[in-house]
Amino acid sequence: MKGFLQIHDPLKPRGSVVGIDLGTTNSLVAAMINGKPECLVADEGGSKLLPSVVHYAANGSVIVGRHAFDVLPEYPTDTIKSVKRFMGKSLGDLETKKLGAYKFVSGKGVVRFDVAGGQPVTPIEVSGEILRQLKRRAESHFAGKVEQAVITVPAYFDDAQRQATKDAGRLAGLEVLRLLNEPTAAALAYGLDKGVQGLYAVFDLGGGTFDISILELVDGVFQVKSVGGDSSLGGDDFDRAIAHQVLDARGITAPNVQQVASLLQLARAAKERLTDAAQTELVFEGVPFPLSRADFNAWIQPLLLKTGSSVRRALKDAGVTTADVKGVVLVGGSTRVPAVRDYVAELFGQPALADIDPDQVVAYGAAIQADLLTNEDRKDEVLLLDVIPLSLGLETMGGITEKLIERNSAIPTAQGQLFTTFQDGQTGMDIHVVQGERELVADNRSLARFRLSGIPPMAAGMGRVQVTFRVDADGILSVAAKEETTGITQQITVKPTHGLTDEEIEQMLLDSIDHAEDDMQRRLLAEQRVEAERLLIDGAKQLFENGDLLSREERAALEKEFVRLERLRKIETNHEALKAAITEIDTLARPFVERIMDRAIGQAAVGQRVEDF
Amino acid sequence: MTHFDLFNLPPSVDLDVKALEDLHRKLSLESHPDRLASGADARARRLAAEKSASLNEAIKVLKDPVRRAFYVLELKGVKLDTEQAAAKLKMPLEFLEEIMERREALEAAKAGRKLEAAQSMGKEIHAALTQSLSLAQDALRKDDVAKASLALGRVRYYARFLEEVDAFEEELSS
Repeated sequence: MKGFLQIHDPLKPRGSVVGIDLGTTNSLVAAMINGKPECLVADEGGSKLLPSVVHYAANGSVIVGRHAFDVLPEYPTDTIKSVKRFMGKSLGDLETKKLGAYKFVSGKGVVRFDVAGGQPVTPIEVSGEILRQLKRRAESHFAGKVEQAVITVPAYFDDAQRQATKDAGRLAGLEVLRLLNEPTAAALAYGLDKGVQGLYAVFDLGGGTFDISILELVDGVFQVKSVGGDSSLGGDDFDRAIAHQVLDARGITAPNVQQVASLLQLARAAKERLTDAAQTELVFEGVPFPLSRADFNAWIQPLLLKTGSSVRRALKDAGVTTADVKGVVLVGGSTRVPAVRDYVAELFGQPALADIDPDQVVAYGAAIQADLLTNEDRKDEVLLLDVIPLSLGLETMGGITEKLIERNSAIPTAQGQLFTTFQDGQTGMDIHVVQGERELVADNRSLARFRLSGIPPMAAGMGRVQVTFRVDADGILSVAAKEETTGITQQITVKPTHGLTDEEIEQMLLDSIDHAEDDMQRRLLAEQRVEAERLLIDGAKQLFENGDLLSREERAALEKEFVRLERLRKIETNHEALKAAITEIDTLARPFVERIMDRAIGQAAVGQRVEDF
Repeated sequence: MTHFDLFNLPPSVDLDVKALEDLHRKLSLESHPDRLASGADARARRLAAEKSASLNEAIKVLKDPVRRAFYVLELKGVKLDTEQAAAKLKMPLEFLEEIMERREALEAAKAGRKLEAAQSMGKEIHAALTQSLSLAQDALRKDDVAKASLALGRVRYYARFLEEVDAFEEELSS
């Protein structure tokens, strides 16, 4: 009975579930509405795209989205964009520093941005702000709580990047039902909407990441055959290519922070214009710089070629050729660039599909998966079988990587390896977990190091330790070790070298509760807005169904109040004022509510009598 | 429980891969953790994940003819997956000399960053691998463990060689 209660616990309503595309440039939140995935309004002005930009103001407030984007040129070091490119990275990682004008707090481990208004922030917290904003937007859409989400990640994200994304979800108060690979999400949206079957390729070029996935769709099973890509290649690099040309042409060798920030925005706008126009002009500091689509195509050619080699590798790993591919799905804003489309068509020998909005398709897929995972009625329809993108291994003698789980292995998966002691009386063993394809440990990504202790002293070669790698359906690794002679087991949580510890996350969660007075005010306001919206929806429904219970004057008075509340809901920034208005209407509507109740009781009583006889 | 047992198949080098994949899909639909009700407890989830993981491991081994042959041999009592085990095989000296020469040639091609040369060596080795594999399969069908071990011993060297060609290709293209 306990299990049953867990499923239908009336005391703990789960609220609505959503799918979130946490993008480099823009983020979206989607949900199933009347059986179809739909993106919800995520930013000011009714936009479904929330720019993934977070501004930290000197007064300690945090702004997310379009407004943050607008102040970026003015506050380039306090406004974090493309934070996804920093997820799971350390300052020591190549190219981290060239990604913007940021001030970093020096030190080992996770990257920390030195921003205005308080403590330095990590990429996980910045992403957490974006997720929190999306959560709030979804909550105001549903006029109720949203606590569970599927969040998408590039298929090519490594373990550290996945962990970081999951932690960001936790910081935002979301239970992450699943980390879903973006191309898989897109395939899911296409597969269910268009009913496609067979072998498909998903070419996903976003703002900062490139993914290629080869999938086979058979009878409701979406099986990923292989993935490939580059977790730091995207439309941002196209912008940078233009910016470099402008700087060269102007002979600017050492641009300042503001120059870089504003030039990158101008470059991005010019790139977007070139999607429709063959020729455009970029005006930087009053000086016009003409550029043609042909120029632009030539500048980005090396970047396109990089995607080509990833595609060939993924096809090879899947054991297929372009001739086997039935269709190519385009995902990501950067696939709007005509040169990208032409290149993909040439690569696969067929024009690519883009009939679902490439900006929204990933969020759709995430919403579908969230529904599949929580909606008991839909469990039998579809199953996703995904793979891990990069091999997982251990360091062995001489700094050589020994692969335990090869890339493109289906997940969940588990793999064991037996290690023996090499010294007499050895009681511990150092284990270094790495991810990547290269032979030398130094060329791969170091995920974690830990020491296995408690081996009973014995002769060399006698101590035997079985190390087991497990990768769950999120693509996240855990390691267990068992000493064979004693049967002592040790479960090790692999916390990436470049991530946050559980304690740090807990502390951040506490901090966000303790110190965020501002946050609290905003939350109270958001709650009152939700309350007002709920009242308006209920009110309209009751007026429609039971309007005959009111005199014409009563109805007019109530309707007038509803209009006033509708306006207040949008503009009032003081939660107490809004609350007062809600209470006022509540009081005014009380006689109406009583009459509705009476009618309902009357109808119930009638029903009773019929049943009795 | 062997990989074959999971699919209720007799151990054999001959397998209809298409049918096997269909079966894997069907069994995954039954056992994947995503199929559990939202309220399922941790133990049920862990069991489902383990079942899925073993199905995934089994299909990986069985659908690839090379891995499958090694596995069938392993079921017959000869494990070739470690250096020590392979060393006991006593491969013919002329074969070891030949493979050493080939490896030196590959190293030279890698040092000179000559992709085409490496690829054409890869083609030759691939042909040799196919031949040895088919010898091994024949031997396994006839239950000739000694002959199968020697043939797969060769396959092992060839496969290692091809891995290196692959890694080199990847290194050059990235």
